[in-house]
Amino acid sequence: MPVSEPDTAAPGQNLAVAAEVLYLANLLLLPGLAFVALLVLYYRNIRTAAGLPACHLRQTLSASLWAGALLVVANLSIVLLGGYHSAHTWMVVIIYFTTCHSTLVLLGVLGLAKAMAGQCYRYPLVGRPL
Amino acid sequence: MQYQSQAVAKPYFIAAIVLFVAQILFGLVMGLQYVWGDFLFPEIPFNVARMVHTNTLIVWLLFGFMGAAYYLVPEEAETELHAPWLARLMFWVFLVAAGLTVAGYLLVPYATLAELTMNDLLPTMGREFLEQPTIIKIGIVIVALAFLFNIGMTVLKGRKTVVSLVLLLGLLGLAVFFLFAFYVPDNLVLDKYYWWWVVHLWVEGVWELILGAILAFVLIKITGVDREVIEKWLYVIIAMTLITGIIGTGHHYYWIGTPHYWQWWGSIFSAMEPIPFFMMTVYAFNMVNRRRRNHPNKPATLWALGTAVMAFLGAGVWGFLHTLAPINYYTHGTQITAAHGHMAFYGAYVMIVLTIISYAMPILRGRTAANSNKSQVLEMWSFWLMTVSMVFITLFLTGAGILQAYLQRVSDAPQSFMVVQDQIALFYWLRELAGVVFLIGLVVYIASFFVGSSDPEATVEAQV
Repeated sequence: MPVSEPDTAAPGQNLAVAAEVLYLANLLLLPGLAFVALLVLYYRNIRTAAGLPACHLRQTLSASLWAGALLVVANLSIVLLGGYHSAHTWMVVIIYFTTCHSTLVLLGVLGLAKAMAGQCYRYPLVGRPL
Repeated sequence: MQYQSQAVAKPYFIAAIVLFVAQILFGLVMGLQYVWGDFLFPEIPFNVARMVHTNTLIVWLLFGFMGAAYYLVPEEAETELHAPWLARLMFWVFLVAAGLTVAGYLLVPYATLAELTMNDLLPTMGREFLEQPTIIKIGIVIVALAFLFNIGMTVLKGRKTVVSLVLLLGLLGLAVFFLFAFYVPDNLVLDKYYWWWVVHLWVEGVWELILGAILAFVLIKITGVDREVIEKWLYVIIAMTLITGIIGTGHHYYWIGTPHYWQWWGSIFSAMEPIPFFMMTVYAFNMVNRRRRNHPNKPATLWALGTAVMAFLGAGVWGFLHTLAPINYYTHGTQITAAHGHMAFYGAYVMIVLTIISYAMPILRGRTAANSNKSQVLEMWSFWLMTVSMVFITLFLTGAGILQAYLQRVSDAPQSFMVVQDQIALFYWLRELAGVVFLIGLVVYIASFFVGSSDPEATVEAQV
């Protein structure tokens, strides 16, 4: 059953909000699982979605893929290159992960706030061109 | 200005800014003492600089909160302040008490100060952040009671809004929990246990209510979004603050001799403490995105959004970084704590006070709504200078803290405290450099009150 939109909501706003929530959930609560849910949401709706929901679906998928690379691949590389038993490796990894993860979360917060206001949003650097 | 009595807020804001300058100057002195141990010794020993740095912070934030309350409560209650004369009188009492305290710290040894102020009659001195002589603490209680009476009576006789009630609840909590500053049991575990009832339940409890109320007031004014929408967000945020923050006190009880269960309670509840800050960020940006008008005071909007973001990072993320008991076992009392403390205080409380000052000061100084364009540009420069330098201060201290924890506690061959301090000196130099940039930002901030003050008021270019 389709989710009913409130009178004041922009068309497809719920879908846009859902995409942003799943992006944030992937970073904060259910890494991996929320990403799979976002993929399902994307492939089920991207052909029919237009405007606002299409924008948020594309942006969150792109940003999630970048987040995976920036958080998992980059951190593993730092540990492998720097050595597991080095104080400096852990300093770089922890600072890098904290700042990178926080930035990605804040971008998600901005995206969610835009979706809730019925506006499109392009993730800086990690989003697709509009 | 809608109500004449709101003018009493102005001296509170001015005193707050003056003490803010003192706080930063002493911060720079002790920052330098980390790497140049005898700098200004014996005139200003490290422990004295630290007391002045932390105590002026607390006092100027209290001045800011009081100014905020005196400004926003008459407008929310739609009535004049109950007793403006009392607010003016208490301003001078509080200012003299703050001045005497700082002078006491700087002019006589701390033990002599305790003797001179007859601390032995009711011993309360010697505890971190609560170093003030007992007589000064009693003065603070009198000021707080007079302040609460004044604000409470104003709320009671006027319109009751969620904003003013949440603010009142926060201020009441602030006063009540300060009373534990007078309870100093001989048992060291009990002493620390109740000391956190002041320190933690202030900054991770009732102060967040004050923060939420001030932020809601400014967002209502600058966005024109329906009060009901903002109030609903405020309810949820303060509920989450109290649910997570009260039992979250347990993250201070891990290693002080309290029962083992605090490691579970403290870890679980304090891990949830970022939630209200996360919600606050979504809410602030959502309200600004849904704004019904463009307010000509752009710096106030910038400070409001900055508060939400920096509070989330400083209090939320950097708090979470070392809040779980197994992590805290290694990081407790390292520079990671200092990193968290700096960004959390700046993000949550310094910025919210600067937000309300940014919103109210132009009006208190006779403008309709905003300063001139030139003044606003300067203020926004100060925002970025202070905020970016605080991010770097935090990152440098985090780097220092991680190395410190590793070399001193994690490594197979742990090194002693002072040996490790030498190894992380580079981070202290970088932190000092960032601190100088912060001071430049503060100077620019103060300049924004004077530059362009005779220029015409900024206007809104386009309505949404």
